[in-house]
Amino acid sequence: MRKAIYNLGIPENLKSKTYALCQASCLSFAFLLAVLVPSPAAFAADWSASEQELARKIVAVTGPGAASLTFESRSSLGRRESDIIQNGLRSMLEQVGLHFVKSDQAATSVTVSLSENETSYVWVGQIQLVVGDSAVVMVSLPRSGRSGSAYESMPTMLRKNPLWTQAARILDVAILEESGAPSRIAVLGDDDVSMYRFQNGRWQTEQTLVINHAKPWPLDLRGRLVQAPDRTLAAFLPGMVCRITGPSVPSNITCQAGDDLWPIVPTGMSLTSSVFTSASSATAAVPALVAFFTPTRNYFTGALSPTIGKFNTVPKFYSAAFMPREKNTLWVFASTDGAARFTDGINEQTSSIAWGSDIATVRTTCGAGWQVLATSAGDPVQDSVRAYEFPDRDPVAVSAAIDFPGPVSALWTESHGDTAIAIARNRDTGSYEAFRLSLSCGQ
Amino acid sequence: MKLFVCHCLAVSSLTVSMLAHAETRPQYGGTLRLMMHTAPTALDPGDSRIPDSFGRRSLISLIFDTLVEMDDAGRTRPGLAEAWQAAKGSQRWQFRLRHGVKFHDGTPLTSEIVAASLRFANPRWSIRADADSVTVDTDESQPQLPAEIALPRNAIAKRDGEGKLSGTGPFRIVEWQPGKRLTLVAEEDCWRGRPFLDGIDVEMGRSFRDQSTALELGRVDVIEVAPEQAHHFSPAKGRLENSEPVELIVLVFARESASPDEKLLRNALGLSVERGSIQSVLLQGTGQATGSLLPTWISGYGFVFSSQADLQKARQLRDQVQTGRLWTIGYDASDSLARLLVERIALNAKDAGLSLVPTAAGLTDLRLVRIPLACADPWIALDNIAGQTDLPRAQSKGFSAEELYAAEKADLAKDRVIPLFHLPVFYAATGNLRNWTLRNNGNLELTNAWLGAGK
Repeated sequence: MRKAIYNLGIPENLKSKTYALCQASCLSFAFLLAVLVPSPAAFAADWSASEQELARKIVAVTGPGAASLTFESRSSLGRRESDIIQNGLRSMLEQVGLHFVKSDQAATSVTVSLSENETSYVWVGQIQLVVGDSAVVMVSLPRSGRSGSAYESMPTMLRKNPLWTQAARILDVAILEESGAPSRIAVLGDDDVSMYRFQNGRWQTEQTLVINHAKPWPLDLRGRLVQAPDRTLAAFLPGMVCRITGPSVPSNITCQAGDDLWPIVPTGMSLTSSVFTSASSATAAVPALVAFFTPTRNYFTGALSPTIGKFNTVPKFYSAAFMPREKNTLWVFASTDGAARFTDGINEQTSSIAWGSDIATVRTTCGAGWQVLATSAGDPVQDSVRAYEFPDRDPVAVSAAIDFPGPVSALWTESHGDTAIAIARNRDTGSYEAFRLSLSCGQ
Repeated sequence: MKLFVCHCLAVSSLTVSMLAHAETRPQYGGTLRLMMHTAPTALDPGDSRIPDSFGRRSLISLIFDTLVEMDDAGRTRPGLAEAWQAAKGSQRWQFRLRHGVKFHDGTPLTSEIVAASLRFANPRWSIRADADSVTVDTDESQPQLPAEIALPRNAIAKRDGEGKLSGTGPFRIVEWQPGKRLTLVAEEDCWRGRPFLDGIDVEMGRSFRDQSTALELGRVDVIEVAPEQAHHFSPAKGRLENSEPVELIVLVFARESASPDEKLLRNALGLSVERGSIQSVLLQGTGQATGSLLPTWISGYGFVFSSQADLQKARQLRDQVQTGRLWTIGYDASDSLARLLVERIALNAKDAGLSLVPTAAGLTDLRLVRIPLACADPWIALDNIAGQTDLPRAQSKGFSAEELYAAEKADLAKDRVIPLFHLPVFYAATGNLRNWTLRNNGNLELTNAWLGAGK
């Protein structure tokens, strides 16, 4: 077997990870700046080699001399890129001996169509010679990436900071070390936990720990990374919990099958006895709530520990959030039937709010000090996340919705509680993209 | 707290109306009801005697898996094979199998079963089963073999002595009435993960009108929609999706052109067909008039081949031939669109001085044929068209657009076929069905579909 692997899945992953490493290293240097400055809408591509090749092919048919030249755009390239290519090709044709005249003065007419197929740009030159002959020449070149998305500017801003991109599914990302910007992260995938460290100006793979699982994962696989105060890491997966030693490298992973309880309240947010202060007022304690996750599906069964007031179960749900208040904590569950259910331990109610399946709590210095982040409802082409508070009984949006490049597949509060991780699958590229979400006040 | 309760009750009616669209994460459960015009009489993916259709391909993909899969960007992805590599100038390909996969009858996926399945569908290939891989040897270089392996006809099926089929796909068969009904249930231990739907009930061979009515009455969740009727579909009924233009409508002559005169007359016929007006009237604006075999979205250059009618030139060509010629033109009697198209083409031909007699029975001089394109790989698609129209198989298997163009141009120069239209495939579904997709290639993708609130 002479030729190297033809399995595109692996090179694609490698390619995407390389892109992720590059992207992440750039972001690491400009972590804060990146969220304030919109991404460039397009990257400058170098079309010159293809322009030169097509020009050469055209002139091989026409020979040097006068010709009329027209362009047709039949591809998804933007007008700006099309103009760049047209100008470049015109220049190349002139360099190889063609000069342009009006069609009624031309012995030869050339029509260049900038077309495309699924995988390539196809530039076609249709040449009509005065003697009645015609010829078709063409070049093709691989289609490249597309433009990024822009950020909204709002008074109270929910920000998303890109963390990581890869072709393989991302279930969660944990930031293990940071100093202004993340310098060490863990990425939970379907079958592994990978640790990356930013050093020598770029992200480098530190270690990949394989997760062995005997049974197939559910289709809509979910997983969560939770960092303990002792800096060990736990990966919660359907029917399995893996514990990763740390923080030193190499780490070890130990996975155990079983219906372990997943944390609903991150360790950094739970307070079982003391009352702590927020930006606005003293609030009640928040217990370290955990819940059973179904090993073969994508939701929590509804069984809770400890109980919430008189409730030890709630209808099965996808995700949960909470809002500590003066006398109690309001719990919110994104139920599998699409409803958002609220309980304070005494009453349970269904809200009319049209949220998506993923919600999470963040503790901030803004407003009430606690906000619920929620994905948008429906069958989104472009998902979004928005922050809400509960000044009275109903949630009130306190930020603009921030858009994601595709459906949000995970939204988890980070261990320290003041930020959240969102994972979205890019509709255009198919890659998974991880973001850190943070709320900043008074803007 | 009372106020809280009252408020929530007050908005409960609003809640009900909004809940139907409030979930975004997939829900498990429910049986999908699918109605189709297509009525395949066998589900064996490798059975070449069964006419190819988009509906049959979609059903096969629910039950069976291929070693390699193609995504909508034309890239190959691992399926039952985790990796593959080429040797001997792409004449030999080795596919390493995924571990832990089982057929619906509980049998583990083995290289022997995979090799037997591929041999059944490809008698010309030499296939060897190794420990955890299969090796395919071909007579000539096949750089695009992984894409060919991804075709539905190469899906891996385990065939027992009694002709019973077993697959590894997300659904298994519980009832099969050929051409009428298919009942599928979710495979709990599917290697991809259990599908969200509990099952799928498929009714086949139903008219487009019946399907539309059933969708309107809420008796089905998904239907096929005839391309020429797609513009009538009301958004109130549900969501209509269309593929890229993946079906070629083409006139195919039964024999090669026997004389220069015959060649002139065939060219005259090609120039007489007013594809533009037929597309806007009979096809109600759907699809694309074409002069090429491959659509532009697959080749990138389809527009180079003119589809414009030129009646004057057609008459000139006709007048160069001294003797008259009467052609019989055939079509599928069960296809009302085909009948309308053939009648209109006969009228166009008459304007050019040609005589075409439409008939739905018997051997004819030429036929109107509808060809589902094999896939988005241009070489495989062109090869497949050649196979179905008795054109010679393309010799060059190069990668460049120019080589492909030369191969297609050579096919058309034989005057054996007259391309007419490329049509998309249409499916419609109720709003409750989520995450279903109609792939570029016309394949209805239900593996990740789920039924939302209200079901």
